[in-house]
Amino acid sequence: MEGLNQIPVIQFTNVSKSYGPMLALNDVTLTVDEGEFVVIVGASGCGKSTMLNMIAGFDEPTKGRIQIQGKENTGVNPQCGMVFQQYALFPWMSVEDNIAFGLKMKGEGRAQRRARAQEYVDMVGLRGFEKSYPKALSGGMRQRVAIARVLANNPGVMLFDEPFAALDAMTRQVLQEQLVRIYEQQRKTILFITHSIDEALLLSSRIIVMSARPGRIVQDIPNDLPYPRNADVQLSDRFVELKRHIWDSVQAEVVRSIEIAA
Amino acid sequence: MKSNVAVTDYGAPERASSKGKAQWPRVPKLAISLISCIALLSLWEGVTRFGLVEPLFLPAPSQILNRAMLMNDQGILLGHVVASTWRVTVGFLLASLVAIPLGIFLGFSPLSRAVFDPVLSFLRPLPSMSWIPLSLLWFGIGESQKYSIVFMGAFAPSLLYVMEATKGVDPLLIKAAQNLGAKSKDVMIEVILPASLPQILSGLKVMLGIAWTCVISAELVAAREGLGFMIMNGKEYFQTDTVVLGMVLISITVMATDLLFRFVEKRILPWKA
Repeated sequence: MEGLNQIPVIQFTNVSKSYGPMLALNDVTLTVDEGEFVVIVGASGCGKSTMLNMIAGFDEPTKGRIQIQGKENTGVNPQCGMVFQQYALFPWMSVEDNIAFGLKMKGEGRAQRRARAQEYVDMVGLRGFEKSYPKALSGGMRQRVAIARVLANNPGVMLFDEPFAALDAMTRQVLQEQLVRIYEQQRKTILFITHSIDEALLLSSRIIVMSARPGRIVQDIPNDLPYPRNADVQLSDRFVELKRHIWDSVQAEVVRSIEIAA
Repeated sequence: MKSNVAVTDYGAPERASSKGKAQWPRVPKLAISLISCIALLSLWEGVTRFGLVEPLFLPAPSQILNRAMLMNDQGILLGHVVASTWRVTVGFLLASLVAIPLGIFLGFSPLSRAVFDPVLSFLRPLPSMSWIPLSLLWFGIGESQKYSIVFMGAFAPSLLYVMEATKGVDPLLIKAAQNLGAKSKDVMIEVILPASLPQILSGLKVMLGIAWTCVISAELVAAREGLGFMIMNGKEYFQTDTVVLGMVLISITVMATDLLFRFVEKRILPWKA
């Protein structure tokens, strides 16, 4: 195993999280290595977002330990860049200023920031919109700005919290393919949350299936669909086979969560 | 008269667009306002000219205009307007300059809010008029006393406006900024300030009106110059036309500053358009 002598990028050790009496996450142990594209799927309320929030340092585990590149978080960790479902762009900043925000926080000069921002504007295909305000952009374009904003900050880990859930099906597919391309080029470590098994299979190098509340890892499946990938991969036999396998375990969890609720 | 037209000019389209109903065409609307304005002034002129109302109780518009021209010839008309406007500007700017950063800081930090809350609760209900005796004692009758009255009248409400505005900032934006490496200071300057600026400015617009009330009341009590003084002085000499002229000038000047404020507001918030 190549991961043995290197520090894992993300390490969960027996992590539990409760909010008051409610146990959201139960005894999760997980190792994510450099360059993995891990997609976490699970029913609503399985603690997926809690996991991302704790990695980013917005939240702390109640029990257990989370290490990012070998260190525990003390407050928000900019090394773990987050792409939010609701974009969270700064409405008073132009596209390029939004993208350059992280660089500004690092104290980089204006000219340098602009040049770097341009690079990422081009990467996400928004040339010509540098001076636009977020208000003037479509949902898909806004999310591309948000992705570029995190990329420009060059974090060690990228976290995606259901980033494409609010987009229409066509736009979603375009952004999924774009994200796969970015991953193929940059090989960043990515943790991505979704409800969609198709999205998980299209993007990931590894899929983690979470149980219903309290969240636990029930399946950890390497996704051996070859990169470079595009949307056509969804038509392959292996895709269908993996999908059936994951669907069975997710379905069991969904049924269980309905039984718990009833 | 010209300024009356100007008021309907900016007020009317805004109202129409906010409703989104069938709109009057712009020009006829302006014409209607103009006609109503002329009609009202004619009626006013008529009732005084034909002796229905004693000029001492209500002077005719023409008489007020005469007074304005007379005072202008004496070279004292503009001086009153400038004096009051300057006092409002200084007091209001000072209040804003303290209230905006302090309000953002208090909005951001619950601890400091707890510290300041008793003081604020005490200051808030005090009308600026109630500060006049103390301010005379502390600052004398000079300009700084006028500034202080405007400041005291505008400061506490401004601070509350700013704090309220910061509460409206989407917490997700703060989260995103921290995630991109923003420290507390950056969050306040780069996120909370710009995000709450539209609310802050609309609050300050209300405060500007209050600042004018403050300066006029301060000038009514003790001043040698300014629109409030002009009204009070007119009263002393039974010059009702001077009194009404002072009132007209206050109204026009406040409208003008309000227009200016809206203009500045549009320039500061291009992303809102």
